[in-house]
Amino acid sequence: MPQLLKISKSVDEGTKAFLEFLLKEKKVCGVITLRKIHGDQGIGYSLITRPDDLEEALPLFPLMPANGGKILSRLTLRGSPKEPVAAVMKPCEMRAFIELIKRKQGSLDNFVFISQTCPGVYPIEMSSGGDLETLASRYRENIQLGENIPETRSACRTCLHFTPPNADIIVSLIAEKDLDKSCSLFLNSKKGEALADGMAGERREQTLDSPELRLLHNKKKEERKKLFDEMGTEMRGIEGLIRLFGKCIGCHGCSYVCPLCYCDLCFFDSKPNESRPISYQGDLERKGATRIPSGTIFYHLGRLAHMSVSCIGCGMCTDVCPVDIPVSTIFSRVGESVQKIFDYRPGMDVEEVLPFAVYKEEEFQEIGEQ
Amino acid sequence: MKGSILPFEKDLEKSILAFLKTGLDKECFEAVLIPHKIPSDDNYAYLLIKDKTLLQGASPLPPVIPVQGAKAVSALTRWGPSKKKILAVMHPCEIRATVELSKLRQASLDNLVFLSFDCPGVMPLSGYVKNPGEGDPAYQDARQKWESAKMRPVCQTCSEFGAPASDLHIGLLGAEEGNAFLFPASLEGKRIMDKLGLETSASSDGWEREVEKLKKAREEKRRGAHQSLQTRVEGPDKLLETFSSCINCHNCMRVCPVCYCRQCYFDSDAFKLPPENFLARAQKKGSLRLPADTLLFHLGRMSHMILSCVSCGTCEDACPMGIPVAQVFSLVAENAQRLFNYVPGRSKEEPLPAAVYREEELCEMEKPYLETYARTGERDASASENK
Repeated sequence: MPQLLKISKSVDEGTKAFLEFLLKEKKVCGVITLRKIHGDQGIGYSLITRPDDLEEALPLFPLMPANGGKILSRLTLRGSPKEPVAAVMKPCEMRAFIELIKRKQGSLDNFVFISQTCPGVYPIEMSSGGDLETLASRYRENIQLGENIPETRSACRTCLHFTPPNADIIVSLIAEKDLDKSCSLFLNSKKGEALADGMAGERREQTLDSPELRLLHNKKKEERKKLFDEMGTEMRGIEGLIRLFGKCIGCHGCSYVCPLCYCDLCFFDSKPNESRPISYQGDLERKGATRIPSGTIFYHLGRLAHMSVSCIGCGMCTDVCPVDIPVSTIFSRVGESVQKIFDYRPGMDVEEVLPFAVYKEEEFQEIGEQ
Repeated sequence: MKGSILPFEKDLEKSILAFLKTGLDKECFEAVLIPHKIPSDDNYAYLLIKDKTLLQGASPLPPVIPVQGAKAVSALTRWGPSKKKILAVMHPCEIRATVELSKLRQASLDNLVFLSFDCPGVMPLSGYVKNPGEGDPAYQDARQKWESAKMRPVCQTCSEFGAPASDLHIGLLGAEEGNAFLFPASLEGKRIMDKLGLETSASSDGWEREVEKLKKAREEKRRGAHQSLQTRVEGPDKLLETFSSCINCHNCMRVCPVCYCRQCYFDSDAFKLPPENFLARAQKKGSLRLPADTLLFHLGRMSHMILSCVSCGTCEDACPMGIPVAQVFSLVAENAQRLFNYVPGRSKEEPLPAAVYREEELCEMEKPYLETYARTGERDASASENK
């Protein structure tokens, strides 16, 4: 049973105090957290090394301007930090990082993870020109109800992994009644306990699991089923795919922000994938007309084939789509099916081997027969 | 300039389609590259059409630019000129960008003919796809009034809306009700009109007058817009503020017709740094934004493509954060292009400024730089003395 550390400050202030403690006590040399960028203009991740700079930190802010897994990968692609760094990440960001590590795109060494029971985040467009304070307070009011929060990403509303399995410290948010007065930190690993050693607060043993969390899990499961059922009929066959992806403008923003799409140069932007005049001529003769640039659906199917087994359903792709394609719902839906076939749970355990990395001679013969 | 009166059959779009159909029939060209509504009815895509029955549903004047036409032409001809003669129907800024791409060797203009029209502007894409039912009448309204706050901000201040960058141009301004004005803007355009038996004797004076009038009004409006924008974006602090909500998705670069690199420098190994680098930078300042170098990306992109920026606005359309990217780039483009007396897309023959070497050029630019640099040196020196 993990230890629960209760700090008698609001959850935001308590978390910040804890981060400050980590920096001041030199338990870590830096903290990666969301913070205000340039006054109130934006929200972004920041690597903070000076305790005073934590003033501007918003570690639990309900936005995901970038999937943190991608940020951590950029930071550790060329090696791991020499001294410990604390990263405040939402559960799906941690899962993304773990998938990236399996693909050799980063390193876990010298990282400690602070995560949260995650009530979800708002679509990023809600932060542009908006009032961040109001957004945050509306969010806080809803958390204590233990319900799905209105207007949050549909990826979040249908997320079944909102409790982080592998964080060292977990900030308890969902269904907490006293977020204004008390900050509950679960010390979820030996590392987490060592980190919190010396931090003032009340300590007791408590399980993270609660009836409220289970209830919310069931609610999200229902919403997920409903969403996927609707999508399932919509995306059937080539007609369905045209309906879904027809309006795509080919910006490939979905791939650029996807934490799993780590390739320097996507195959679909590469030289071999560029159509030669001859292929257009052929299409033109055969069909009388052809879309230019070509390969719109092929790109999405290709991306699905490449990464759906590891799709952690964070919702970044939907957020950046300029033409409102529900990319994340499609990818989560396909991801779920693919992951079920391989009995694979992306991002849960860094030791769990990627299905593509395992060879089994007697596998999927029934698919071959079909 | 002289041209031909193009009387409307039902409406302007139908008349343009009828013209294209006759052109295909009489083999003036073998295929048409033109926007077409997609099956879900809420956006448009470029189609290369050979079968004239499929031309029926095309939209020569779409209310949005989902994919910049130059990108479509580049996809079509990057690997060599088209074997078939193609007529491309595009907004003027798309044709100008295509000309830039041909200079950058990313498109071939051989066997391509362009048809442009007086452009009323287009609507911001994400707003349009959310509610095409509301967008369509707003666009029709803009076509009537030639001024609408619902068009893209850069379209509202565009003065190149009627500049025939093409072989054939359809003039709408100054035309009588139920008529448009079709005129050849190149020898090839003239050949096509001759082949179709279209007289090129009608005077375009009325059109020219109206274009000139609107152009003046737009230039005035742009000056005002640029002035007010400049006060909001000039200097490092304001620039940082303007781009502070950037999430580094690079959508602006991906949809930019001029950013043709397969892999952007800012996604290259040059920016893959060891963790010590990030930590050292954070320690120097107290904290470091991640992803790092967000503003550097925009400034870098700017310095790479600004001389060819046609201010089409596609970048702003694709920004999920509503950053006025196109407006900022348009402001900088105007200044940079003036310096080189270069207008992107104006002429196919005019070389790119970066491709021309002149020994004695822009010497005066070096002086302020040296002065600034020297001043910075003094400041640093006095700052360290104060310590």
